[in-house]
Amino acid sequence: MSFNARITMPAQAKAGEIVEIRVLTRHVMDRGGQSDGKGGTVPRKILNRLTATYAGEPIFRFDMHTGVSANPFVSFTTRAVATGDIVFEWREDGGATYTRTARLTVT
Amino acid sequence: MAKTGIALILALSVVVVPAGSALSEIKSGSEFLSPELRRQQADETRNPAFFWVEQGRELFSRRPAPDAQACIACHVDPQQKLRGAATRYPQVDAATGKLLNLEGRIEQCRVERQKQPAFGYESPELLSMTAYLASLSRGLPMQVKTDGAANPFFEAGRAFFERRQGQLNLSCQQCHDGLVGQKLRGDTISHGAGTGYPAYRLEWNDVGSLHRRLRACSLGVRATQFDYGSAEYLALELYLAGRAKGLPVETPGLRR
Ligand code: HEC
Ligand code: HEC
Repeated sequence: MSFNARITMPAQAKAGEIVEIRVLTRHVMDRGGQSDGKGGTVPRKILNRLTATYAGEPIFRFDMHTGVSANPFVSFTTRAVATGDIVFEWREDGGATYTRTARLTVT
Repeated sequence: MAKTGIALILALSVVVVPAGSALSEIKSGSEFLSPELRRQQADETRNPAFFWVEQGRELFSRRPAPDAQACIACHVDPQQKLRGAATRYPQVDAATGKLLNLEGRIEQCRVERQKQPAFGYESPELLSMTAYLASLSRGLPMQVKTDGAANPFFEAGRAFFERRQGQLNLSCQQCHDGLVGQKLRGDTISHGAGTGYPAYRLEWNDVGSLHRRLRACSLGVRATQFDYGSAEYLALELYLAGRAKGLPVETPGLRR
């Protein structure tokens, strides 16, 4: 359970409407540098980027650094244009990625 | 250093603690938070502790091993059947005469009935399971037994609460009764009700048990930190729960 996400946004909106998207993420955001007990240090392991695309178009990017707390929360808005998927992708130090998808139906 | 300085000033400013506090006036820890944090606690989209509740719910319905039963196999419909359970802990275990808190009861089922190795105090699994089961009682009033077999534990907890301890020579009561509403290092001192635990503390960046909070308070006055699940903290937990009788369970809480 090192990663999890809770995305909150309306399931539908009228064309042209501004929708708020809230993203709460579970991640320890380990800034590293602690002793590993074997003479070395623990490497940094944080989510360093969150991006969102809407119907294939990038709409949001959040670059994260070690100052961002564990289990970060972020919210942003976008304009409802057409029915489509909003795809969230997190990039973790070391190259792993996590994705979540939420559908927005535009009426 | 700054920490010690402030705590010392506080120690010096403690003069008299009114005897016999009015128990009816005990308020939840969340009443002393900023309005923003209080809103954030109730908001599942903002309070990270709900991840732990979710993890607990999953663990509860999953078989821990192919030949073992899931908790839910014996506890069907937990939303109904285990709603309210957390309001009655800590309680004396009828079979052994020991005082068990919710963590202790979960571990007992885990080991004796599920035949699995104990999760271990403060493990993410036990925290999740405790947060999940306590969350089923959200909004229900605390109603622990403090008489009968529980009474000696309750009285031991009270004695602990009232005893001055540590290098700063402060009792729990001096802060959580005598100095309620005063500021200490950015916190507003509450009654120490503990009804939101396991809770997500911003300082921890994590969910922790009530005993972890108690260890932080013991350290704060430079007193002995007892072990997680120790007899001392269990008795203290019962005393706090008895004092908080009638206050709603808030788990998973959000604290500074
Ligand atoms: C084989 C059946 C069985 C399994 C598996 C089992 N339990 Fe239990 N559990 C019981 C019984 C029986 C009791 C009642 C014990 C008593 O009252 O003395 C109980 C009591 C409890 C209680 C106390 C309820 C109350 O109202 O005080 C909790 C909490 C609990 N179990 C949690 C769990 C958890 C968590 C798991 C999985 C890790 C689990 N149980 C697995 C049979 C089981
Ligand atoms: C120097 C003052 C001080 C002493 C002494 C002290 N605490 Fe605390 N305690 C605090 C502060 C500050 C907080 C965080 C703000 C608050 O009260 O909720 C806190 C928080 C708590 C909480 C969490 C309350 C909640 O519901 O969120 C509990 C429970 C608690 N303390 C119990 C104890 C116990 C038991 C003792 C004695 C072993 C003790 N404290 C001693 C200052 C103190």
